[in-house]
Amino acid sequence: MTWKQVLLPLSASVIAGAIIAGCTPSTPAEDSTTGGTSTTGTTSTSGSTGESTSARPAPKGGPVAIEGNEIKLGLVVSRGGDLRPWGVDCENGANLAMSELEGGKIGDYSVKLMIQDSNSNPAEGKSAAGKLVNDGASVLIGEVASGITATMAEVSMDTGVPIVAVGATRTDLSQKVNNFFRVCYTDAFQGPVMANFAYFDLGLRKVALVTDKSQPYSTGLSDSFRQIFTKLGGEIVDEQFYQSKDTQFGAIVTNLKSSNPDGLFLSGYFNEVGPLARQLRDAGIKAPLMGGDGWDSAELISSGGDAIVGGYFCNHYNAEEDRPVVKSFLDAFKAKYSAPPATTMGALGYDATKLVLDALKRAIDTAKAENKPLDTLMITNAIENTENFNGVSGVITLKGQNGDPLKTALVVEVQKTGFKFAKSFKPEDIKGVD
Amino acid sequence: MIGEWTPLIAGLEFSILPQQLANGILLGSIYALIALGYTMVYGVLRLINFAHGEVFMLGAYTALLVSWKLGFTQENVAQHPDINGSILTLVLLLFCSMAVCGIVGVVIELLAYRPMRNQPRIAALITAIGVSLFLQYSGQLFLPNSPPPSINQKVNPIQGATNIPLRKASAETLNNVSTTTAAYEAAKAAFDAQLPNEESRFQLSPTGQALKETMDEANRARTDAEATANSERVEIILPNGQIVMFFSAIALMVGLHFLVNHTKIGRGMRAASHDFDTASLMGINVNRIVTFTFFIGSALAGAGAMMNATFLGTPLTTFYGVVPGVKAFVAAVLGGIGNIRGALLGGLLMGLAEALVAWAGYANMRDAIAFLILIFVLLFKPGGLLGSAAVEKV
Repeated sequence: MTWKQVLLPLSASVIAGAIIAGCTPSTPAEDSTTGGTSTTGTTSTSGSTGESTSARPAPKGGPVAIEGNEIKLGLVVSRGGDLRPWGVDCENGANLAMSELEGGKIGDYSVKLMIQDSNSNPAEGKSAAGKLVNDGASVLIGEVASGITATMAEVSMDTGVPIVAVGATRTDLSQKVNNFFRVCYTDAFQGPVMANFAYFDLGLRKVALVTDKSQPYSTGLSDSFRQIFTKLGGEIVDEQFYQSKDTQFGAIVTNLKSSNPDGLFLSGYFNEVGPLARQLRDAGIKAPLMGGDGWDSAELISSGGDAIVGGYFCNHYNAEEDRPVVKSFLDAFKAKYSAPPATTMGALGYDATKLVLDALKRAIDTAKAENKPLDTLMITNAIENTENFNGVSGVITLKGQNGDPLKTALVVEVQKTGFKFAKSFKPEDIKGVD
Repeated sequence: MIGEWTPLIAGLEFSILPQQLANGILLGSIYALIALGYTMVYGVLRLINFAHGEVFMLGAYTALLVSWKLGFTQENVAQHPDINGSILTLVLLLFCSMAVCGIVGVVIELLAYRPMRNQPRIAALITAIGVSLFLQYSGQLFLPNSPPPSINQKVNPIQGATNIPLRKASAETLNNVSTTTAAYEAAKAAFDAQLPNEESRFQLSPTGQALKETMDEANRARTDAEATANSERVEIILPNGQIVMFFSAIALMVGLHFLVNHTKIGRGMRAASHDFDTASLMGINVNRIVTFTFFIGSALAGAGAMMNATFLGTPLTTFYGVVPGVKAFVAAVLGGIGNIRGALLGGLLMGLAEALVAWAGYANMRDAIAFLILIFVLLFKPGGLLGSAAVEKV
């Protein structure tokens, strides 16, 4: 472990933590200032595409010129497999965004969304992305999980077609290629958010981690929580592991009980967190429970029952927020699908697609102004230069952020009937990150 | 993460060993119940029914859908908070799951395995894998799985846990706990009184912040005192739901033992298991025996599924049966596949192995070590612990 500690500050300042996966505490804001490429040269506003401000490696392939009057977007979702609940919401959100495009056209171009199934499987996700690019997709959208997104990004690396990830929060994903973007925050943000909340707002000092060993998301989130919480002066008294689809947690619950934590951070998905919470309470553990955005589902309340009530987790947005964009999104979603989105991926899929459409508009304008044919590099630069995009999940700025938007995270409290807003965290509110 | 292994001895906390043994036995009893289905079918047909895990999944879904019919949907429970399940509800769910699973098992045998019975055994095995995948993926079309639904907690009237104290904490420590708890309650009352003057619990004025810090400080003192009490105390806590699961599993297994050893159809099963062709020549209707075996084995899986889904509240997907199916299959092989007592032994050993491995600080390697045990047993006793010595190639 020592070589990591030596390398960490060095690499973070030189190449913005490109190598150390998921461990860099550096915020996106820092990346842009230490990234090496000056952003002062481009004075472009959100009305132009300008040059890339990214300090990340360029893709090996591309740019691909767009022929004809049709721009194709390629969405990869998990229609089958474990991630289906998120996949369905993401697909619905993306389709909703497309249906809001007037006449299905931007300028002279008609825009079409092609969808492929990754079946919750990274290898199938890669071939789905490859097929979409072969079929002429100029932008890839997806996936909801980090593992599949990582393989899709390889396609972006090879072909130069930009990718906008929907719910992939794992930190290291965006550092490999400069045409990777996402609309969600990273685990290097939500881990510190929850660590700050635990330390300052809940006043906890001895926290135990419970990690889903089979999910890169969960291990990455636990690591980033641990790093900041210990830096703030707290202590991680125990870490226990389970695997997705486990139903009986008796053994790890007993271990957790013997380490007497005053709080527990459950970094996995709600499928296991609900039953785990019940078994923790049955065993007489009364300490508060916390988690990341993997908790976000109405099912958490059903499966966790009374045990999960009073737990806190970090989320992208809250259905009860009174920002107009949230309300209009939820109304439109309910009107189209007769139910609100079951997970947060409805909003993120919608935001990703909307953001791509917004960037396309600017890319088309640039191509026209410069009298050049539209290509994937122009689209990449337009996405890169997105500023103050008003998304359902918050205002998204990608310009100078190396693909990871600066966003506000919300900590919400689980109640019997839903999730109640507790506290919001802006990147500058986070302590212990340097 | 090679640098982060917990040293074996330093991680051992003997005061929780009794609790871990109890955990292992509770877990193992469910493995055993599912393992019986594998072992019974193998005993009669020499076929590994890989679709058994999917029968388990369908049993859990049956319990869910019946509970929804009874009004335990999330919306309905939210609207009518006084709705509560009774023992009768549980019995109804149990019988529905067992019946549906039994019938599904019989249908699978009739449509998928019977046409394959005279084909090479590998063909039947691959058919079994096909049935398993078919149910997993086609189930996504018609079973609710987005988001994964779970059986509402209200269905289950058996809540709470039973505490078996083995050693009490000292009076001094307990005294300390009550003093610090009282101090915390006082600080919390002061903070709660201030709360109406604040914008929110997490946006505090300096006064509120000071009160909150006092409260947090008192809370930490309280949890430290409780931690001391916890480490002095030795006890076994058994969630009541899991106790019911354990005794139901045992009762079903005793019933099965009686059925196999003391009834006419049981004698037929034993005969078919001994020699399928000769049994049919001796006037035993082997088709009926096979159908019956599938019915009973699948119904037991249904019982396990209903209890797992109801008492643990796990969200259901069509892959719900995969992990229990694999674990139970391993348990059946470990105990000696084809041997009913072997399934019980194998299940309990698997459960205990998992609990003890977690106890030793290797929670992240629980499954790996459980499977390692299997490999070692099979190296030295290829037929499993109680199985026949004859080696079979599958």
